[in-house]
Amino acid sequence: MTEIVQQSVATPANSKGGSTPTGRMLQLAASRMDFRIGFLGFSLLVVVAIFLPLISSIDPIKMSYGAKLLPPFPAEGWRWPYLLGTDQLGRDVLMRCLVGLRYSLLIGVTTVILMFVVGCGLGLYAGFRGGWVDAVIMRLTDAQLSIPMIILAIAILGVSRPTVPAIILVLGLSGWPLYARVTRSVVLGERNRGYVLGERVLGASDLRIMLLFVAPVVLPPIAFVAVLDIARMMIFESILGFLGLGVQPPTPTFGNVIADARKYLLNAWWIATMPGIFMLVSLTCLNLVGSALERARNAVLRGEA
Amino acid sequence: MFVLSFLLRRLLQGCLIILLVSFIIFTLLRVVPGDPARLIVGGMAPDEVVAMKAKELGLDRPIPVQFLSYLANLATGDLGTSFVRPKSGASLGGSAFNDQTREERAKVLELILNTLPMTLQLAALALAFALVVAVPLGTVGGLYPGRWPDKLALTLGSICVSTPNFWLGIVLTLFLSVKMKLLPAIGYRGFSYTILPAIVLAVEIVPFILRTLTVSVAQVMREEFIQLAPIRGLGRGRTVLKHALGNAAIPLVNLLGVQLGMLLGGVLVIEFIFDYPGLGLLTINAVLQRDFPLIQGIAVFISVMFVVINILVDLIAMTIDPRLEY
Repeated sequence: MTEIVQQSVATPANSKGGSTPTGRMLQLAASRMDFRIGFLGFSLLVVVAIFLPLISSIDPIKMSYGAKLLPPFPAEGWRWPYLLGTDQLGRDVLMRCLVGLRYSLLIGVTTVILMFVVGCGLGLYAGFRGGWVDAVIMRLTDAQLSIPMIILAIAILGVSRPTVPAIILVLGLSGWPLYARVTRSVVLGERNRGYVLGERVLGASDLRIMLLFVAPVVLPPIAFVAVLDIARMMIFESILGFLGLGVQPPTPTFGNVIADARKYLLNAWWIATMPGIFMLVSLTCLNLVGSALERARNAVLRGEA
Repeated sequence: MFVLSFLLRRLLQGCLIILLVSFIIFTLLRVVPGDPARLIVGGMAPDEVVAMKAKELGLDRPIPVQFLSYLANLATGDLGTSFVRPKSGASLGGSAFNDQTREERAKVLELILNTLPMTLQLAALALAFALVVAVPLGTVGGLYPGRWPDKLALTLGSICVSTPNFWLGIVLTLFLSVKMKLLPAIGYRGFSYTILPAIVLAVEIVPFILRTLTVSVAQVMREEFIQLAPIRGLGRGRTVLKHALGNAAIPLVNLLGVQLGMLLGGVLVIEFIFDYPGLGLLTINAVLQRDFPLIQGIAVFISVMFVVINILVDLIAMTIDPRLEY
């Protein structure tokens, strides 16, 4: 069975390394320099973001008037341990960035999982069943795609209390259509392959074929691209925060910290600039990983590796 | 004849999509809490006034009835009248319930059409900036896969896509506008006010063009007809410009259709930061004021644009590559 599954995705001939297509994709990605740099940078930031606030004595929410508006590290007047300076209420900018990254990551990853499950599930079902089920799901997808996600998000979050689950739900439910489209188009190609027909002859139910045989072939390549979407959702989360529709203060997120710091931009540029640079660096790392995975996936699917 | 049947089919599909969009938005707006009647008359108004306002606006009818009457108006091209915006354009959301000076309300369609040119101007300039940077870099990157131009394109794309637009807007305003006094930033009093927002929007578009173009140029260059071009005596420059780029342009045109929604999201935030009086700012204000007809109108309008642009995109793709059939 496994051999047939492999063949349907890529030609196993002259392949080196991993035995499954997914394994080969991972191996190819890991051999790329940009993947290594991005992966190292991002994991470092994530580890720091998870553990530093736990062991550090600095509270990202507690105000301290003795240490307000301290500039960041090389500038004159900075003070240990406030490497990135402090804000107008004496809160440590670095610690607030780290907590922001935690929330951003939590929302980004969960949202993409939700999008992936809903989108791929519907796409799988639509492509496999065909007929009117397919038509209905695809028109729904078109409609959803033509409503800009952000309008939907601000319309809903603008009136209901923006809690973490609400944000995840809104972003996830407006982001599924592309997954549905891609999954469906791949499933259409798989549907009439030998292994599916074979299982049919053996008497397997539709659900069983879909989940046990089609999904494992179709989904991993799509999951590779989902990494890029995590970064996209993290940006989205920060936009919502900036508009005042994200996780609410005093909990610091990238968005609400930058929105708040806008007022102090002229006298204390670092309060708004530092979280942005922090975000830029962490997301660039994540995007390097994501695009390396995407390229490796494309190379394997083309049968070049 | 073929084009006609294509157009007819796509227009029918488009109508279905627009119907679905208005249904989704309509239901969502009714389900979420927040009473627009109370918002309009002001928080201090007695309950009877609120009830009267709701009756006047038709908000007291059952939701399916409201939806049907909305659809009936929609069919005649009437998007309704704004809840809070008077004809003069200024917003009076919070005025007192017994204020006699309130003007007549503005038509939703007029509000949209008045702000649309501003947004189109912003989008066109941003697209021009993005194309100037991304097309040369993306093409060269695709010609040398795995070499430094490709890596440069990949890195630049990754950095651009990782830049939060609102943050870039703020930082550029600080440095280019406040500190160096190069460009005006906030509001709109002439064409120069478009440049800074357009730069920020361009940064958002560049990675998509780069990614699509490097991949599709690299793919076209592997094709037999390109590999055989030197044998036919064609120069490299001509091969790339005429044959490779022409074929690689199709995915790019397609992408613009699919990513339109995302682009509009960017426009929305950027107009909000720069206080740029376009469709995006209108949308944000409509949502914040719970102006139901305006939100619905904008959503329907955007989905109509989405449908039309996607049909145009397919027509353009067919012109570039006559083999394509839809």
